[in-house]
Amino acid sequence: MSDSPTDSVRTSTGAPVLAASELCHSYGDRKVLHKLSLTVDSGERVAIVGENGAGKTTLMQICARLLTPQSGALRIDGRVGYCPQIPGLHELLTPDEHLALFSPAMGLTRGEGVAKGRELLAEFGFPVKDHGAQIRHLSGGCQQKLNLTLALLGGARLLLLDEPYQGFDHGSYMNFWDHVQRWSNQGIAVIVVTHMLADLELVDRVVSLTAVQQEEPV
Amino acid sequence: MSDAAAAAAVRRPPARRHWAEHVLLPAEMAGRELGRRRTALGLLTLLPLVFYAASRSDSDYAPVLGGIAMAFSISGAAIFCVMSSRRLDTRLVLAGYRPRELMIGRLLLLESLGALVALVFAGVIVLGSDPGDPGELLAGVFLVTLCAVPFGLAVGALVPSELESVLILIGVVGVQLTLSVSNPVAKFLPFWGAQRLLNQSAAGTGATTWPIIVAFLYAAGLFVIACWAVNRRYANVR
Repeated sequence: MSDSPTDSVRTSTGAPVLAASELCHSYGDRKVLHKLSLTVDSGERVAIVGENGAGKTTLMQICARLLTPQSGALRIDGRVGYCPQIPGLHELLTPDEHLALFSPAMGLTRGEGVAKGRELLAEFGFPVKDHGAQIRHLSGGCQQKLNLTLALLGGARLLLLDEPYQGFDHGSYMNFWDHVQRWSNQGIAVIVVTHMLADLELVDRVVSLTAVQQEEPV
Repeated sequence: MSDAAAAAAVRRPPARRHWAEHVLLPAEMAGRELGRRRTALGLLTLLPLVFYAASRSDSDYAPVLGGIAMAFSISGAAIFCVMSSRRLDTRLVLAGYRPRELMIGRLLLLESLGALVALVFAGVIVLGSDPGDPGELLAGVFLVTLCAVPFGLAVGALVPSELESVLILIGVVGVQLTLSVSNPVAKFLPFWGAQRLLNQSAAGTGATTWPIIVAFLYAAGLFVIACWAVNRRYANVR
């Protein structure tokens, strides 16, 4: 682990999964990202930290290709799994229905997608009795587990997790980091936005989004 | 199962694309969600009937008013369908859906739902107003549905927020309601074809081909605009 974006720990010698170069983005007059460069190798675990409004979520959206940067270059090798800060789930649908809805997009049949999703949910400690409950009746932690599962369902080389454990209890939180380690061992690059200092010990590298550091090579 | 998450994460999905699954599954889920909004469904059916009942003393105009008022319900449902799904749609497109597949699914669902509402509404008018040409009346209410769905989808896809969408809906449908069918401005609005058929149904006279063609052209054009708008919104997502 490092507290500087320039001192990275590389776990792979292959081509990077993500290569962002001099990304700039503003909302109106408010500059959020300024010449941010970031390279992430396969299997690498990176934490993105920074104060509110520093551009963490904007960076994740750009990396997920949901937002076009105003300038800069971005190259991603392989499928991206994106777990947004706000899940945006349909509150009247059930977890199983969400899994079914995502399945064909992931190249899975409905049955395969639901079965695989249930396995993932079980690993995160999601109660079996809630598979058929409407989202509005689930706790925030359970909604977040489904949010995370949908990001994982189809396979990804790069996971972008924007504060993925909001609402998790302590056991689920520890379990989440065990999974991050496993994904890393499988060669999956994981970028996690976090505000929790304890998390910084669990990653290979910390990227702090501040105006000064964004201008430094990462 | 010790490591399903990691195994799922490294597995690359097979390259296969079944058109029916990509269209019908989003339609099914939108239908399930809408079906659980019982109050909204009730209002959706009641609204045109209220317009019709309120103007029933004018037996020639009541079917036109109620029929065009169906557009408030059906376009409103289409706008809601698109706007409430934006966050999840982004993820669905990122996962592999094409934006137009999501739109086609919603079109199929809402046209089916709208056809049911139209059928109920036409039955009520036939019983209540005894139109000269019930067939023309039925065609008129179906044309309202035909245009109302793509109109709502297009507005929902183009406009940034709910308030603006609702104002546009009220504006367009409201102006169509207030204008006579012979008014030149009315001919440029999406529900003119339906309005003309509903208008004619009282007397049972008048040409039907051109209003039907106009309505189909409008519906097709509006749906193309809706697809273009969502493609543009998600152009960056691959």
